[in-house]
Amino acid sequence: MNALIRWLDSRTGVVSAFEAYWTRRIPGGPGWRYVLPSALLFGFLVQAISGLFMWMAYSANAQGAWESVFWLQECTRGGWLLRGIHVFTGHAIVAMAGLYAIQLILSGMYRAPREFIFWIAMAMLFCSLGLMLTGDLLRWDQVGYWSTQVRTRFLMLIPIIGGDLFQAVVGGSDFGHLTLTRFIALHAGVCAVGFGVLVCCNLALLRRHGLSNAPAVDSPEQQYGSGQWCRNFCGWVVLSAIVLALVFQNYWGEHPGQLRGEYLGAHLGAPANPAEAYSAARPEWAFLALYQFANIFPGEGIAGTSVSWKVVPIFVIPSTLVCLFFLMPFLARLRGGHVFNVCVTLAMLVACGALSWACVAHDRDNEIFQRDVAAGHLEELRAKELAHSPQGIPPGGAISMLRNDAKIQGPKLFAQHCASCHPCVGPDGKGIPCQKPSAPNLFGFGTRKWVAGWLDAKQIAGPDYFGKTKFADGQMVGHMRDAVKELLKDKDIADDVKKQLAMIPIALSAEAGLKSQKEADAADKAKIAEGREALGEDVDCLSCHKFQGKGKTTGCDLTGYASRDWTIGIISNPADKRFYGQPKEASGNDRMPAYAESPNEPAKNLLSQREIEMLADWLRGEWYEHK
Amino acid sequence: MENSQSEPTKKKCCCCSTGEGGEDRRCFCCRAMAVLCWLGLFVPSAFAGLWSLVSPLFGRKPGVMEVRVATLDALPEDGTPQKFPIIADRRDAWTQYPAEPIGAVYLRRVKDTVEAFQVVCPHAGCFIAYSVEKKQFYCPCHTASFKIDGSRIVEPRCDSPRDMDRLDVKIVNKTDVMVVFKKFQTGITEKKES
Repeated sequence: MNALIRWLDSRTGVVSAFEAYWTRRIPGGPGWRYVLPSALLFGFLVQAISGLFMWMAYSANAQGAWESVFWLQECTRGGWLLRGIHVFTGHAIVAMAGLYAIQLILSGMYRAPREFIFWIAMAMLFCSLGLMLTGDLLRWDQVGYWSTQVRTRFLMLIPIIGGDLFQAVVGGSDFGHLTLTRFIALHAGVCAVGFGVLVCCNLALLRRHGLSNAPAVDSPEQQYGSGQWCRNFCGWVVLSAIVLALVFQNYWGEHPGQLRGEYLGAHLGAPANPAEAYSAARPEWAFLALYQFANIFPGEGIAGTSVSWKVVPIFVIPSTLVCLFFLMPFLARLRGGHVFNVCVTLAMLVACGALSWACVAHDRDNEIFQRDVAAGHLEELRAKELAHSPQGIPPGGAISMLRNDAKIQGPKLFAQHCASCHPCVGPDGKGIPCQKPSAPNLFGFGTRKWVAGWLDAKQIAGPDYFGKTKFADGQMVGHMRDAVKELLKDKDIADDVKKQLAMIPIALSAEAGLKSQKEADAADKAKIAEGREALGEDVDCLSCHKFQGKGKTTGCDLTGYASRDWTIGIISNPADKRFYGQPKEASGNDRMPAYAESPNEPAKNLLSQREIEMLADWLRGEWYEHK
Repeated sequence: MENSQSEPTKKKCCCCSTGEGGEDRRCFCCRAMAVLCWLGLFVPSAFAGLWSLVSPLFGRKPGVMEVRVATLDALPEDGTPQKFPIIADRRDAWTQYPAEPIGAVYLRRVKDTVEAFQVVCPHAGCFIAYSVEKKQFYCPCHTASFKIDGSRIVEPRCDSPRDMDRLDVKIVNKTDVMVVFKKFQTGITEKKES
């Protein structure tokens, strides 16, 4: 064994190098205060290992980034652990690099001959911040996408070259594939390698100049191997424990039926949507102070130029401060210089703390912010639900999946195109309100309760049905109000009429074939048959409406009433003869526009076929739901 | 080797007359030259890299994009702004996306004309929201707010360097609202296309 070691050492020198490392002197003896540099090395190694494995699963393109991160997080074994370790160690590294730089200043260890140690510490801090910034975008979710949008757009504040600089960084005038390819190269290449080199340089310089100015004594107690290594090791253990605690922070609690990747490890929001901003995007914790600081300044141009005042808090003041910090080793040579440096550092710490706290406190009490966060969370859950569905993520990426989802798009389309006339508000007041309702409330469209309202003389003339339309005093309202009322007065047939009025909604609602009434429809086959018969009996719907080929066509066709096909049809063209195709003076269409009048010329239509389908599906409560 | 070192040469430096040739006959300027030559070998690869890196700066500019956004009827007559997505073809480096949302605009009816505003905040690129209660635009990211006509509310402070970016609108066939869609640089007072 010894012979082997001697041979290895004579050929490579590693054994004696380790010996020299192990027995090197630590002037003043080992101490906990020297733990940070080695903890930074440990952090870097952890990041290199976890990052490399993440890289093996990552796809840097706009249709694959979120998808590959989602897959790693929720569809692989242990992916959540890998991501969790990487993300939280990244946060820890930023904190440690900051603390290390501060420690050097406070302990005076930035003065000659250790200027470079201090500068390297500063550079490590910036490198770790760079890793944080670039890493933030890579997962390509709404938070990362929109906070990076804002950040990179700040480049445009720089006079003259700002616009070009932005394009060079982002790889075009908009975010896209090239932004991701650039950011992964910056993250895993430039910043990560740079950080590793800095960590090693730091350790090398610490060895050259010693950890402190205390006189070196040749005693076994002052050797690295006697006490420092185990302190450093403890530092690594503590760092690992903190990171793992953060990864497992949601472990305790109820998670019925959830995968580990859904609640353990680092967060992944809804996929990035370039067409819909996530308004609650905030920078990472390390930048909150800068964010809040910038908010103090106005956006106005600086006296007569096109340069905004924002350039001051975002570029001028921070870069001045950075220069000041880089000059600190020289300032310390002046009388009172060290005290000045310490004061500046402490003042910076207090200011950053106060600003960050102000930002958090402001958002905590901000209803709009909380509302946007909640909306983002819903979208995130939906995106993941769909991604886990049997259909899964299509080739167009998660965003095309969301853009084709009735549950997500339905309310948006409704609010944009329908809610200027139609409300969609339930009895609890929730739903999509309408400023000035002038058409039927579509909440519960096609359900028995909703259909029954049409046959109720009071409701049909009320604001939730025809009350605010030109049909408020039309044939249908008149029929229910007068003719049916007369029938109900006739004692001989009143009971029959009542029964018919109860069965017709059941039959008509069954035409819709709603998912929510599947069981009820199957159970009430007899009632449905009765209701269908009743359409032509005393209440006499068929005097105006057509049903399965019978009856007149004054009103809309009741065959397949509120079914998917029927609903798509009426949105596409309500003035079609199947719906309100009669001449206007008779009963024709009121004001509803035809959203897809020309089936052969899609470009002319207000809504695409798919949009109309999604609206219909949403109104009818028909979308994929994981059970 | 030993022999040559024991006899120091008195020759001048190989490249310049000022440098006194030392034992190894290399002055500072020679070393600098060597380093420069050495670095020069990296010029082709670095140049090629930078050249391709900045190529998006010289990408083709999109032509005038006129998009049909809505019909006049869809806009509330009381002038309440309404947000509409801009659906158009889009190219992202190597992928051509057929008709998909590429942004959004606010449309606002003012009598028989229509005003259109880019939804992107001129400050930092967030999307501006509209508050029906306050009848104001506001940006949820950095609290810039704008009047209903898109002009900034400067009291107490406005984060935006300029008013909301207005877009040209054409009304075709008396009903179709066409918007000339453009994107602008953010963070500067000047309304400059990006």
